[in-house]
Amino acid sequence: MNIRRLAWRNIIYNPFTTTLSILLMTFGVGVISLLLLLNNQIDKQLQNNLRGIDMVIGAKGSPLQLILSSVYHIDNPTGNISFKEVDKLTKNSMIDFTIPLSYGDSYNGFRIVGTTSQYPKLYEANLNEGNLWIRSMEVVIGSMVAEITDLKIGDKFCGTHGLGEDGHLHDNHYYEVVGILKQSNSVIDKLIITDIKSVWEVHNPKIEKNETHLCTHHDHNSHQEDKCSDKIDTDELYMSDVFMITSMLVGFKSPMGFVQLPRKINETTNLQAAMPVFEINRLTNLLGFGVQTINLIALIIILVSGLSIFISLYNSLKKRRYELALIRVHGATKWQLIKLVFLEGLTLSFLGTSFGLLISRLILFFTSFLVNQKQMLDSFELGLIIDELWLVLIALFIGLIASLIPAILTYKINIPKILSNA
Amino acid sequence: MLKSESIIFNYNGGAKFSFPDIQLEAGGSLLVLGDSGIGKTTFIQILAGLLKAKSGKIELDNTNYNKLSSKEMDQFRGKYIGMIFQKPHFVRNLNILENLLLSLYLSEKKQDKKRVIQLLKEIGLGDKLESMPNELSQGEQQRVAIALAVIKKPDLILADEPTSSLDDANCQKIITLLKEQANKTKSKLIIITHDSRIKSQFNKSITL
Repeated sequence: MNIRRLAWRNIIYNPFTTTLSILLMTFGVGVISLLLLLNNQIDKQLQNNLRGIDMVIGAKGSPLQLILSSVYHIDNPTGNISFKEVDKLTKNSMIDFTIPLSYGDSYNGFRIVGTTSQYPKLYEANLNEGNLWIRSMEVVIGSMVAEITDLKIGDKFCGTHGLGEDGHLHDNHYYEVVGILKQSNSVIDKLIITDIKSVWEVHNPKIEKNETHLCTHHDHNSHQEDKCSDKIDTDELYMSDVFMITSMLVGFKSPMGFVQLPRKINETTNLQAAMPVFEINRLTNLLGFGVQTINLIALIIILVSGLSIFISLYNSLKKRRYELALIRVHGATKWQLIKLVFLEGLTLSFLGTSFGLLISRLILFFTSFLVNQKQMLDSFELGLIIDELWLVLIALFIGLIASLIPAILTYKINIPKILSNA
Repeated sequence: MLKSESIIFNYNGGAKFSFPDIQLEAGGSLLVLGDSGIGKTTFIQILAGLLKAKSGKIELDNTNYNKLSSKEMDQFRGKYIGMIFQKPHFVRNLNILENLLLSLYLSEKKQDKKRVIQLLKEIGLGDKLESMPNELSQGEQQRVAIALAVIKKPDLILADEPTSSLDDANCQKIITLLKEQANKTKSKLIIITHDSRIKSQFNKSITL
């Protein structure tokens, strides 16, 4: 028997007040921890997908929309732009790389993105099976696409016009899966990527007219497709006025690019240049307000839990005045009694905090499980993140403060008076 | 040897008490009689070192109370003085066995479970080890209170009205038990009481 075990006994023999204190602490810490984990995850995802993309050029419209659609693939494209015109602008010594993107179709909700082989390289996405596309109408799919749609190498499918699931079916153009990428925990996991020409081909009526072959469900032959792509001369097509793309990802060689190029493009052309870093900061600031509000509410809950710990300690102290005096008579020093009170308060807040951290993780686990986002789960950090360390310190500090007054009262306890009045 | 010399005590701005000198050898017992309000409890608390006398000197086995700091006094009391109160009190969240072990822990003695069980058997509560204090009857509770005081083999046992809330049968049992246990541990025993039923059982008594 010792002070620690006595503190523990006092905690478990008051199940109602103990449960209330712990529950409140669990709830407050849980909400904040959940927000911190989500925030951390969103930040990580946002940063992870930037990959040195310093600027995106697209059609005029909302810069945020351009970034969300071109970098994160979660919004609709702003419109089409002429490849020739962008290409002219990007022939500049400040530019490190340019990657054209062309998108607007989807398959089972997964976006089909026409681009160059540089795009998977940018995301360090390696092939799990098969190879990159060589001809147009060949696609490489991300790991998540493979998992959910069950597409395999050699499978053929038609794209749907638009990014929803109920658009018009391009049922005269079949894509063929030639490669599956490894999981990279980036946006590319949920993309179907193909040569930029493929997307153009699907949408350009001229090519359709020139093509004698229409791909149908019954009569399909990849050899004929080869002929159709061979008919277009790549360089000629790229430089023709009709070759449109959706956007162009740009990386700068020097920071000077940030200063000069976006302004030049926005002011002198009818194109739009947006900088992901800038837009993402704007977005997180916008979200930040909501997050801060919820954080504040959760912090208040933690404070209330501190109050509940205080009240439960204070009440039990009043009930146990004689008991404490007795313990002193048995030889306990004042400091041993104070240790007892602090141990009770800190144990309550510690338990509440631990449960809170545990519950936020369980919630994340089950939600990712429910929405079938195995990938989301894989990328979550289940260990403590730095902000949570602060949260733990704050919660324990509140437990300490809640125990302070009861501890002082315990220190000042007047044993002879209590014993005489019994 | 317990010695008290010319103890004077007064409450802040209140009653002033002066107490008779006492001397008690090891194994000796003393009954302190007096009506309510005469300062019996004050006297016992001074002897326990819970209250500090205004003047005078108390020595228990050559330790002068006046020379101990309050922390040292707490520890000294824990080790060498066992107290029994009019109404028994326990740590309510611990069972009987644990209450006794806590008493040993606080007096920095070995938590010898066997000895605790042996003692509980001696006082007829061998089957109540795991009982919670509030599950016992008054008489049983008072017996456990005695066990709490004697388990640490104190030099001095101070009992404050230990029988006043008990019926005749229980009163007799408790006094016998107290004398028995004090004898066994060679403790000095001081009982403060106004209970006339126990006067005849002690040959040494003083009246305040």
